[in-house]
Amino acid sequence: MIRLGDPRNAFWEAFLLTVIVFIFGLLIGVAVENSRAGNLEESYENSQISLIDILTLDSVSNLGNLSCDSLIGSNLEFADKIYEESKILNNYDNANKISNEIKLVYKKYDLLRTLLWSGALNVQSQCPDKFSIVVYLYQREGASVDEKASQSVWSKILGNLKEKQGGNMVLIPISVDSDLSSLNLMVSRYNINSYPAVIVNGNVFTEPVSVEELENYLEGKSLIQLN
Amino acid sequence: MDLLTIIYLTYSFISLYFLIFYLIIYIPHRKEILFSPKITKEYTLSMVVSCYNEEDSIGKVIDSLLNSDYGNIKKIIVVDDCSKDNSWKVIQSYAKKYKNVIAVQTPANTGNAAGAKNYGAKFVDTELIGFTDADSYPAKNSISNMIGHFDDAKVGAVTSLVLAENRSKFLEKVQVIEYKMIVFMRRLLSFVGGVYVTPGPLAIYRKSAFDKVNGFDGENLTEDIEITWHLVKEGYVIRMSSSARVFTIVPKKAMVWFRQRIRWNMGGIQTIYKYKRFFGTRNVGMLGLFILPFFIFNWLLGLTGLGILSYRIGRTILVRYLATMLSIDSNVAVATFGDINLTPSILVFFGIMTITMNFFMIWLGLSYAKEEGKRDGIVRVLLYMFFYVMTYPILLVISVFRVLTGKTSWMTK
Repeated sequence: MIRLGDPRNAFWEAFLLTVIVFIFGLLIGVAVENSRAGNLEESYENSQISLIDILTLDSVSNLGNLSCDSLIGSNLEFADKIYEESKILNNYDNANKISNEIKLVYKKYDLLRTLLWSGALNVQSQCPDKFSIVVYLYQREGASVDEKASQSVWSKILGNLKEKQGGNMVLIPISVDSDLSSLNLMVSRYNINSYPAVIVNGNVFTEPVSVEELENYLEGKSLIQLN
Repeated sequence: MDLLTIIYLTYSFISLYFLIFYLIIYIPHRKEILFSPKITKEYTLSMVVSCYNEEDSIGKVIDSLLNSDYGNIKKIIVVDDCSKDNSWKVIQSYAKKYKNVIAVQTPANTGNAAGAKNYGAKFVDTELIGFTDADSYPAKNSISNMIGHFDDAKVGAVTSLVLAENRSKFLEKVQVIEYKMIVFMRRLLSFVGGVYVTPGPLAIYRKSAFDKVNGFDGENLTEDIEITWHLVKEGYVIRMSSSARVFTIVPKKAMVWFRQRIRWNMGGIQTIYKYKRFFGTRNVGMLGLFILPFFIFNWLLGLTGLGILSYRIGRTILVRYLATMLSIDSNVAVATFGDINLTPSILVFFGIMTITMNFFMIWLGLSYAKEEGKRDGIVRVLLYMFFYVMTYPILLVISVFRVLTGKTSWMTK
């Protein structure tokens, strides 16, 4: 590889080889990241169909033939499904460093969850005091050290709460980074100035509190009438 | 892609480049690593040993030189730099016993190794001049394994394979690995004209070349680095003989080790500053094209790595601390399995590749410096890789601070 007596070739050969190895590594990285995004896209497609189905159900419920249990059950089931998908999405988002495919999937899921939130509010208005809606608003990017710590604790608190309450509550985590007009409109009604923020049946919390304290607001299950 | 990812990837690229560079040199030269040219001419040689407060070791050093199998050592000039212990008495006793051992004492303490060495050089009139530290013991065949390189008229100096003599304590054992890696890398660099130091434990110079650069720079804390760069600048080639072994006493205590390393770094900074105008220039050979950029790049790499690591660790600790306080207040678990994200990223892939290549280079380096009956355990190697090497950028930061604040006084062992 090296012509003896001409050592400077080693520098260029090393540079060329490093570029090749590096590009190869980047390509593998991009392929892996795109593959993850691809898997999530598939899940997203299925979730999208499920949501359209639920929203259709919600509109059909106005005809008066559907019980609250069916409506609530389908919303809960859907919320649990995308909650599990969001955990995977989170992990992939933290690991993906090069391509932006995951960000797009994230945005789509945020929109999906915003629609779920709106639909759940609709169901709650038709079937009051039957279940609770807990919305967790957080920043995916650009969170400060304080905000990251707070988000980390809120995740555990809400996870514990969900485990305790099971089918009595819908837990909807939504990142506020996606800049969705619909989400911004819904959030604006609660006068939220900082994140993370948790809305429990219309009551806003910005500082982490205990599970027991949150449960007090669940039991009340009061619905703040939206303007 | 965020800024931190770009920095990580750039850092990975540079690290990979250096590792691949070493591999590219190693592969075609792997059979020459331990090669030493045969002696075709027995050049006249004088050895200079500078001594300051080394009464425990100076005798053994002189014995090592007297025991050398090289037949044309005309003089062994032992320079006492006005020691406060019994070094001078020991030196005089050898001078009385052996005709070719010459005891000289500096008129006043010179304050640094360069001063004593330059003083001893005044008594040399042979074709070659060699230097050994007063705590370093050349093996019997070391000098004879170095002489053959001087058949090439361009060779200005030949350096040796410096190994640690003492290795009972943990700090000493880790330095054993460190020294072996340093000499392996230096041997590889010698194939591309990139040797940047002729260490004090054992180095031989062509006397005419030594005189041309006016010997050692008395102002420099690492005179062995400075003279090498000076020789390269003057167009000389520096060779390394991996079969010329010299065993040197390494620091046993952390504070002594720390002061030694600060001195090395400060000397390096002094030398870079002295030769800074030759950065990237072609007319000074490998000094401008390789040695200077290599030094600076390595340091930048270390400092960047330290910066990134400090930032990440600091941020993580802060987030964890705040999260712990909030968790306690909110009565939730401080840590759960859900906190662990095992989804690997591209950066993990590059990190693993770099670590694996590093490990391979260490294994290669240790295999060429094998010593009979002595092994370097895997635990020690891992501790060297992941902890010992982390001290380098910290030492560099401290050294830069000392240089900038003008604290450049000689720091003896």
